[in-house]
Amino acid sequence: MLVQRLADALGPDAVKTQPEDLSVYAFDAYSQGQMPKAVVLPASTLDVAAAVKIAREFGEPIVARGAGTGLCGGAVPAEGGIVFSFARMNRILELDVRNRRARVQPGLVNLQLSEQTARAGLFYAPDPSSQKTSTIGGNIGTNAGGPHCLSYGTTVNHVLGLEIVDESGEVVHTTVEDSGYDLTGALVGSEGTLGIVCSAWVRLLRSPEAVRVWLAGFPDVETASAGVSAIIGAGIVPTALEMMDRLALQIVEAAFHAGYPTDAGAVLLVESAGFDDDLQQYERDIERIVRDAGATSWRAARSQAERDALWAGRKGALGATGRVAPNYYIQDVVVPRTKLPQALEAVETACDSRGIRVANVFHAGDGNLHPLLMYDRSEPKEVAAVIDAGNDILQAAVELGGTISGEHGIGYEKRGTLTRVFSTQDLAAMARVREVFDPRRMLNPEKIFPAGVGCGEVR
Amino acid sequence: MTLDDLRKTVADCNRERRTIDLQGGNTLRAFGAPQPRADVTISTNGLSELLTHEYHDLTCSTRSGIRVADFAVQIAKHGQFVPIDVPQRRKATVGGALASGWLGPRRHFYARARDLVIGSQVLLADGTMASAGGMVVKNVSGYDMTKLYIGSFGTLGIITQLNFKTLPLPQRRRVLIAKLPEGTRDRAAAQVTSSPVTPAAAFCIEGFRKAIDGEDGIDGRIYILLEGSETLVDRATRDLRSALGRAGVPETTILDTGAGESFERILDASIESVGERSVTYRDLGMPGDALARGTALRDAANRHELFTDTLVDMMNGDVFLRVSERDSRAFAEKLEGCDDEIRALRPRSVIAAGDAPIRASLNSWGADPPAIEKMRALKAQFDPNRILNPGRFVGGI
Repeated sequence: MLVQRLADALGPDAVKTQPEDLSVYAFDAYSQGQMPKAVVLPASTLDVAAAVKIAREFGEPIVARGAGTGLCGGAVPAEGGIVFSFARMNRILELDVRNRRARVQPGLVNLQLSEQTARAGLFYAPDPSSQKTSTIGGNIGTNAGGPHCLSYGTTVNHVLGLEIVDESGEVVHTTVEDSGYDLTGALVGSEGTLGIVCSAWVRLLRSPEAVRVWLAGFPDVETASAGVSAIIGAGIVPTALEMMDRLALQIVEAAFHAGYPTDAGAVLLVESAGFDDDLQQYERDIERIVRDAGATSWRAARSQAERDALWAGRKGALGATGRVAPNYYIQDVVVPRTKLPQALEAVETACDSRGIRVANVFHAGDGNLHPLLMYDRSEPKEVAAVIDAGNDILQAAVELGGTISGEHGIGYEKRGTLTRVFSTQDLAAMARVREVFDPRRMLNPEKIFPAGVGCGEVR
Repeated sequence: MTLDDLRKTVADCNRERRTIDLQGGNTLRAFGAPQPRADVTISTNGLSELLTHEYHDLTCSTRSGIRVADFAVQIAKHGQFVPIDVPQRRKATVGGALASGWLGPRRHFYARARDLVIGSQVLLADGTMASAGGMVVKNVSGYDMTKLYIGSFGTLGIITQLNFKTLPLPQRRRVLIAKLPEGTRDRAAAQVTSSPVTPAAAFCIEGFRKAIDGEDGIDGRIYILLEGSETLVDRATRDLRSALGRAGVPETTILDTGAGESFERILDASIESVGERSVTYRDLGMPGDALARGTALRDAANRHELFTDTLVDMMNGDVFLRVSERDSRAFAEKLEGCDDEIRALRPRSVIAAGDAPIRASLNSWGADPPAIEKMRALKAQFDPNRILNPGRFVGGI
């Protein structure tokens, strides 16, 4: 009956119910959830609204899904229900070059937005490592970051307005620069628990006149961390400031031959974009600063090809891990930038004490760590050890004044840990917002908020 | 008033259903709906402490009652700043600036002040404190509640603390001013907005002569603020002067000393009123049609024989139109028809300045935003007894 109603409303091709089709939607890049009862592929906002109303009628929870590249179990069904896939809503609807903005559908792949606007001399700044596959809708759900958020800011800084469907099936339009509450700001990063994004106005930036990429080698991560603090402390905010440790370098170099020094204990990948006159000065300043901080090598990428190779290595680091371990778990925590040495030490302690191999490849300039813990999923003891180590790392970040997720989101994975950074009152305030958009808790249930004592209302 | 006193007062008011008039520096009282009479007045002026400036981390945390200018001086000690561009920054508070959601002219260049807030503490209507975000520059843990409090005019809660991402101060700041000869405005504006080196702020101005430096040409004047490295500001100066020359604008005046004060006067002009004889409209929109909107609004006012001053932010698309008359009675008579015409052209334009009795006769917020029902529902969730600034916000919230 449910399936028939959905098929009548959206067309038979837009509804999937065969187990072999559904099983894909029970996974994301973090975990396996429950099999959904059906998957719908809406082609328009009206389709979304119609399907939401049917789901509501049948009491079925809804999970909106982009490309399934999420790393916290945010896009997998917790209790069956209906998955909304945006594979058919993947276009740029309007490109307004004069005002440097575009209206896009949620299923548009992040990188394609920049590729399709490059001819107009524009680009979309948020660039999560998954950008070749992840979608703008998914990026909005998690307020995705990426290496270049250091100077450009995360997704929320680039969304100008949204068209969403809420739990009742009502279409709601929001604009950032307008009178009234900033609903856009609250919706971005809400992981599909407040509404389903059907289109978004996003800000595009002018492609920079010049870009330079430098690579500084250090004997160890502590010295490299000092380099990060020295650059930021000198009042220089590069476009990106990334760190890789020895193991990460070896893994990346073996896979990509990007030209990373495998004998270094750590490297900083630094990028600045802007005007050539400024960049020449930055190059001199940054080299001096990192050498004073203990850098043992310094290299400037001299061509676009060299820059691309270095970035391909950095952004492909996660995938390359598959060459050395059957599975990896990536943690995502943030600490104040000057606390990086202590945070990295905590990572090392958590992993060494449990015999876990760990590679660090992360957004150092933001203080956003991504330790990659390697293990074998078929070994229950290893799984348990990795979970414990991840937990220790999380706790260390909180104790250093940081937080439990910088860009991956809370999803299913970290919902039990939100109380480490927020009080019951803080969570109750969030619940008030949920009450407005999703009073019956049918949109992506069992995500973000802890179940149980103290915040039962925040389910 | 200490934070503890504040908490007790608000909890008492909520219990006794007494309404609160919330005040920061009182600089934007004429922005939006007139403040309705309330039972209790609460000022955040006692909460004026900069709590911490982690300058090595480029972050800081402050109590909300600190003056914008004092806040700037304190974080400038370590060569940093937060671009909070509001009028009367010596009086305005940081909390008030953010609570009003005032959009400044450098936002296209650095980011909106909203985008640089990384955490907050808010006193809710029931007297409980709620925190959001933290002291890290990236954070996706739970809903970004701070976004809702910013721009809410205190109707969801009282902002008591704000944590910011700070930016390194630019090496150099320079103002360029040029009188526009007849028929040069659009070409000159196009040169400025498409300049490879983006100005930190750029305006087309007609009038506001007493408030802001410079005299108008027949087409008004252009005002450009440049910020950045010495090299870049010099390059931009050369580029812009020759581009303006090509557009038929022969002379550009450079202001280095006093550039900051000059920019402050621009910010002040956007709400400067002439007693009971003026009202200022703010119309937000896209930069691409900002000049055309400005002209259309000005012409509408001129048809009602009102004097006009316009300030068009070419980079962000904001238009400020001040309409005025020599005597207050004539003003009131002409304003009614003028307001109808302005609202027919731009239904969402907002009153940014003007005397309370005059504003009382106008719909200060213009037409309701599309998501007004959701906004009302939020207000009901956060302040069910409607004690916080009731009636001050859009749609009577």
